[in-house]
Amino acid sequence: MMLDPRITGRIQYAQDQHMPGMLHARILRSPYAHARIVSINTAAVPRDVVCLTRDDVTDLEPLYGPMVKDQPVVARERVLHVGDSVVAVAAPTLREAEAALEAVEVEYEEMTGVFDPVEAAGDSSPVLHESLDYPPDLRPDGRNVCHRFRLQSGLGEDGFAGADVVMEEAFSIAGAAHVPMEPHATLAYWEGGRLHVITGTQTPFNVRRDLAALFRLPEERVRVVVAPMGGSFGAKTFMRLEAVTAALARKSGRPVRAVLTRAEEFVTLNRHPARFRIRLGAKRDGTFVAKSVDAWWDTGAYADCGPSVCTKGGYAAIGPYRIPNVTVDSRCVYTNHPPAGAFRGYAATQGVWASERMTDLMANRLQMDPLELRLQNLLRDGDRFATGEILQDVRFADCLRAAAEMVEWGSDRKNKGLAVMLKGMQTPSRTGVALDIDAGGRVVVRSATTDMGQRPEPTQRALASQALGLPMEDIVVGPNDTDLVPFDTRTTSSRSTFMMSNAIREAAAELRRRIADRLEVASEDLVLDGEGAGVRGTPGRRVALSDLAGLRAEGSFATPGGLDPDTGQGVASSHWHQSAAAAEVTVDSETGVTTIKRLHTSVYAGQVVDRPGAELQNEGSTIFGIGTALLEAIEFADGQVTNGNLSDYEIPSILDVPDFTYDFVEGGQHAHGLGEMAVPVVPAAIGNAVAAAGYRMLDLPMTAERIVDARPAR
Amino acid sequence: MKIQVRVNKLPIELVSRTDETLLAALRRAGFQSVRLTCGIGVCGVCTVLIDGSPISSCLVLAPAAAGREITTTEGLADDDPVAVAFQEVSAFQCGYCTPGFVLTARALLAETPNPSDLEIRHAMAGNLCRCGSYLKITKAVRLAATRSRLDSN
Repeated sequence: MMLDPRITGRIQYAQDQHMPGMLHARILRSPYAHARIVSINTAAVPRDVVCLTRDDVTDLEPLYGPMVKDQPVVARERVLHVGDSVVAVAAPTLREAEAALEAVEVEYEEMTGVFDPVEAAGDSSPVLHESLDYPPDLRPDGRNVCHRFRLQSGLGEDGFAGADVVMEEAFSIAGAAHVPMEPHATLAYWEGGRLHVITGTQTPFNVRRDLAALFRLPEERVRVVVAPMGGSFGAKTFMRLEAVTAALARKSGRPVRAVLTRAEEFVTLNRHPARFRIRLGAKRDGTFVAKSVDAWWDTGAYADCGPSVCTKGGYAAIGPYRIPNVTVDSRCVYTNHPPAGAFRGYAATQGVWASERMTDLMANRLQMDPLELRLQNLLRDGDRFATGEILQDVRFADCLRAAAEMVEWGSDRKNKGLAVMLKGMQTPSRTGVALDIDAGGRVVVRSATTDMGQRPEPTQRALASQALGLPMEDIVVGPNDTDLVPFDTRTTSSRSTFMMSNAIREAAAELRRRIADRLEVASEDLVLDGEGAGVRGTPGRRVALSDLAGLRAEGSFATPGGLDPDTGQGVASSHWHQSAAAAEVTVDSETGVTTIKRLHTSVYAGQVVDRPGAELQNEGSTIFGIGTALLEAIEFADGQVTNGNLSDYEIPSILDVPDFTYDFVEGGQHAHGLGEMAVPVVPAAIGNAVAAAGYRMLDLPMTAERIVDARPAR
Repeated sequence: MKIQVRVNKLPIELVSRTDETLLAALRRAGFQSVRLTCGIGVCGVCTVLIDGSPISSCLVLAPAAAGREITTTEGLADDDPVAVAFQEVSAFQCGYCTPGFVLTARALLAETPNPSDLEIRHAMAGNLCRCGSYLKITKAVRLAATRSRLDSN
């Protein structure tokens, strides 16, 4: 058996990329959360070390960012978070680069920082960004609020008048670290005025666009090659190391590689800490009448994709329920924390925690079975969600019932909890793909889907195989290089399998037409199989695929939509991610330690394309959810991360993971994304189970200390 | 300084400073399966076998490995039962931690040919997989154990 290069370790991640003459980069980072830079003195840096300061980027666009241009390549007048990049160096060895950082002198004048999103929006807070150019679809709103998403349906707040019972509660979710085992890594070089970047990214076309804008180049003069990633989970989205590495390469005239240290990972991009206040009104019989969601998202010093996080988390907190009157007010706020951005479970994790804990609190109040209360209110086929869109292909109840059954919900509810969610997919978005027949008679899939371990290669080969009728062995996936692949929005939000399946189907139909044209037969009469191309009913007429080398067909798929930021009306998602979880726990009343006795997730999978990949992604999602539920929180002290290493920041080890179960609800017309489905529901189900055991938890993570503090009075 | 070691059964001279880790020296010598992750010996990604025992190479100074037998996954035979089981079970996602798991599992099975699930979990507790492939990793180690036992019978 040929061993997989991931097993032998021979796979080349971005951090393993190498070029002759390459320099190694290191970054000098701010020790202050908020400070003015008085002076930067690099005189003591050795001559053969390239040193990049604010004075070296004055000819570039001053700021970049995927949604708000607010981030400089290196700090200009001020630093805005501990870990903000101030000076970057590149040297022949890492050791020399590290020594050079010691030789740089920076004088700071410390300023007051702000670390809470509600406080940051108040009148007495420092203003983090003086003047920004916001795009028209964002709603900056007062001090430090870079986006405010609002939704109203039905009578909104007035709808609570029709409720018999109204409950209100506050919830919080801590920031978390992605902890990809491979840190961020980028290699950049310039050749003939063209910028080449080899990088671990989920967003090659965003990176190309943003690099081109930053360096004031047409996009054709930027090439992004995506290396397989040693994990990402949202960490490697949008521009991270690419800008500073490219600027160092430009100044040095040499290839430059940057690889972050583990400590730097904790100040580069994290999950948004969030705070919610939820009001839920119901009739005495359990019918939901009105809900309001008030949410605050701490996006840190730079917005990154925070405005989209606050939108998606805002509507995710409504939950998959029929509620005639809804308001959402969700604010994305700058603070002096490190930036927060995309994180597996994208905003739904936070929203579902608040929403599904609230559902259980209401069930308690009404003295109803939490399963029955949910089933009574769940959205069904043809129902209208609060965004105004009509839902089709609805499986919430199937998922919820399957999960409940696995913990024997019907027998007793002691120490058990449930959760169910809806999560949107990136909408609008578009995907292109090309299928090439190469000289060896293989079909090459040209796709921008990036590889972070979710098995895109077998998935896309299987999709092309099904669509063309060719065996998997005849299909390969080409290199992921913006010079070679059609445009794709990005590999995020569990969208790629769904989007690519549609684009590949279209490309395959076109390729079949072109082959049929070449054979001068009708498309319906074309037969493709392991022997090549033939004609139905004419066994003599056959050509090998290698004789068709050079034929190429493209396919594309787009999902229109988007939400109005002021009313929340429109199309939030072209189709919905749907899942449920059930948990049974024991809680040690002395130590506060929660033990998961049973855990099941049930996920709407549509058509499963690559079963090992589907299973692995859902197992991984579940384990991410366990970490979020019980272990993971970035601890800050005045903006400084105090647990930025893998000893103090604990991710689940094999001993933290129980022998859990899951099932896929299969069917429907499409492949559905499966990359994140368990992440949001697992913490909420565990939280509801812990609550059923007598510990009324409102905040994530449910650490042993917090559980002890919530111990019921005896 | 120059350090004589055997890596994957071949004698090799590592060139290293005295204060450098074995991880850095091995990577410079071309053994790229050994990768830095936490740098403090808790994640197990940089695991190598030193005289058969799994060790975090980020914690070992290169000179301390002089004269020892080091195993990395570059030396895996194509029919290595642990590697084959990992592949058949698909016990990995991004693959970054996989060499460390495979080597730890090999060391476990050399000592304990018939481990219980709990023994597997305890042996693997020093290796972290952020993609969350633990269920399938346990399954792969179990499969490798079963096969090795059948072979030795």
